[in-house]
Amino acid sequence: MTAAIVIQQAINGVVLGSLYVLVALGLTLIYGVLVQINFAHADFVTIGAFAAYFFMHLAGGSYPAGIAVALVTGGALGWLINRSIFAPLRRKGGELPPLIATIGVSVMLQNAMLAWFGPVPYAFETPYSQQVFRVAGTFITMQSIMIIAVSTTSIALLYVFMRCTFLGKALRAVSQDYETTGLMGINPNHLVLLTFVLASALAGMGGAMLAPVLVLTPFAGATVIVKAFAIVIIGGFGNVEGTILAGLLVGLIESYTTQFLAPGLIDIVVFGLLLLMLAFRPTGLISERREENV
Amino acid sequence: MAGAFVATSLQIEKLVEDAMRKLSSLLIALGTSIGLMATAPASLAQDKTIKIGGLLPISGPGAYFGAQDKQGVELALEELNKTGVNGYRFAIKYEDSACGPLPATQAARRLIDQYKPDVIIGEECSDATLAIMPTVAQAKIPLVNAGSSSIKVTEPGNPWTFRIMPNEVMQGIDIAIHAYNDLNARTAVLLYENTNAGIGNAKVFNETFTKLGGKIVADIGFGREVNDFTAIATRVAGLGKVDVIPTYTLEGQGLKITQALAQAGVVKGGDGPAIQLGTIWLPFGFEQKAGKSSRGYIRIVQFDPTDEREIVRNFVRNFKAMFSSDPTHLNAHAYDQIMLIADVVKRGATDAQSIRDTLAATKDFVGVTGSVEFDKTHQNIRKDTIHYMETRPDLSWNALKWN
Repeated sequence: MTAAIVIQQAINGVVLGSLYVLVALGLTLIYGVLVQINFAHADFVTIGAFAAYFFMHLAGGSYPAGIAVALVTGGALGWLINRSIFAPLRRKGGELPPLIATIGVSVMLQNAMLAWFGPVPYAFETPYSQQVFRVAGTFITMQSIMIIAVSTTSIALLYVFMRCTFLGKALRAVSQDYETTGLMGINPNHLVLLTFVLASALAGMGGAMLAPVLVLTPFAGATVIVKAFAIVIIGGFGNVEGTILAGLLVGLIESYTTQFLAPGLIDIVVFGLLLLMLAFRPTGLISERREENV
Repeated sequence: MAGAFVATSLQIEKLVEDAMRKLSSLLIALGTSIGLMATAPASLAQDKTIKIGGLLPISGPGAYFGAQDKQGVELALEELNKTGVNGYRFAIKYEDSACGPLPATQAARRLIDQYKPDVIIGEECSDATLAIMPTVAQAKIPLVNAGSSSIKVTEPGNPWTFRIMPNEVMQGIDIAIHAYNDLNARTAVLLYENTNAGIGNAKVFNETFTKLGGKIVADIGFGREVNDFTAIATRVAGLGKVDVIPTYTLEGQGLKITQALAQAGVVKGGDGPAIQLGTIWLPFGFEQKAGKSSRGYIRIVQFDPTDEREIVRNFVRNFKAMFSSDPTHLNAHAYDQIMLIADVVKRGATDAQSIRDTLAATKDFVGVTGSVEFDKTHQNIRKDTIHYMETRPDLSWNALKWN
């Protein structure tokens, strides 16, 4: 075992963790504001991946532009589905119908993608996947550097938005007390819509970043969403900082489990950690901020 | 007068009774005739159709199997139903078995209960095939399998299951011997999905290679949910020089493994020393998707579209005409499954039992993937279905004449 291998697995873990964070952030945003789990989130990730793929292969666009297309597609889809399905159900009251609706939307989107795109895996290649930098026995692709950069930038922008802008503060207010926020002259329905659009845009962008790593099929998002849910729970439901920390932690755990144990044990280790968290620290990694949520 | 009247009325009554009896007989006869006329063509048509059940993965990670299998089936049925075989036509009904034991079992039950097929083709994934075998055997319907490599599908033998492709032992022994003798490989890392087929294939390679004097440096299994193979490639890179890396996984993960191994500089596709080896898990066109990472990859394919046999030329031409693309081994396997069933019908089979019996007696069926001769376990023992291909730098195939 050389130091280079240990460092290399750390790099792998950070790259993988950054991808998980991109997916999990949207989930935690929605949970933080609505206290609702969105099972269709995985499919927004997949649609973002396909949007970038077809933009590059049919329209001849570049990969960075493809990421932007995925972001916009994800946001637009989030707006459309919230407006047409989730919002009317929320207005009728009850927690269960919107939750079940997210499952219905997920199944519908998966089957629509299966019908349109077919089941055969797509090879999503970017010029950046082939650019490999090798330093002192370690390597990193340009694609991996982009993943870290895009994730870091997205997290920073989201953080600034939530902490320093009026809308961000309003979102946090909605997450703390939905009814009272309405009494303060803020329309919580608009903020819920904004949350959905933001979360879905993040999912779409995450899809474009994940696509060169994922096995791109209509079910691609489903393969990461379970891990993303685990990250949201480990990080503390609705806690953005906790989600970031948990995402990176899970990425690193996966890499080092592969190196020192076996890849077949990854899920045992990750979900074992999840159970431990639920048993001993149910509020998540950063519990002191739990009351603020988003 | 009264007596005459009574007699007359009795006669009239009798006459009416007779007339009614005749009328009802006539109506019954007419009704029966109409009924017979209505049902005869239907039952005749039903009797003259061989009903094939298709248990194929149409959703999930193995859905590409089902999509390509259906194309092969479609082509075969179009060719066969132009004229029929011994007066029989062929019809198929699909159920999505999703490459998994539970959905496959449910799909098998639906298919058997609702469609009552004479013969079933499928599944592709070994776990799913093993799961449906008891259900199919209980219903006494022959199952023709082309895609599952697990030895358990035919060992110790099941009277209702037939496999037309070489099993994991035949492939594993063959590829291990060639790796040791023809590639001079002495060290290997095994990469495989944690399924019956993945574990079984890796185990056979391990045993054969070790017996020949080779060394297995690492034995790495992984779940189907793994997406990023960089960590696994890093681990392999840390093992030092490795000669061959036999890999057993579905196409999607196969692409990512090959690319990750190339990025880590382990395999020839990434200018490393190791040769990646594979069997029939990957379809035609894999190299184009994997790109230059797949350079030097050697794998068993069961259908060679460059094969010059007339049957293959015709198949390729007709497939291109129908689907505007080159056929894959999955298309070819499905085509052969249907053509084998047609061959059995040509030899006189008419129902599930006779299809089973005639299949068991198959000695010299010639298909586009190779020939078929079943042993007592119903495993095809012909090795002309094993073709080795090496990926050239331009991503085309170089046929290795190893068999």
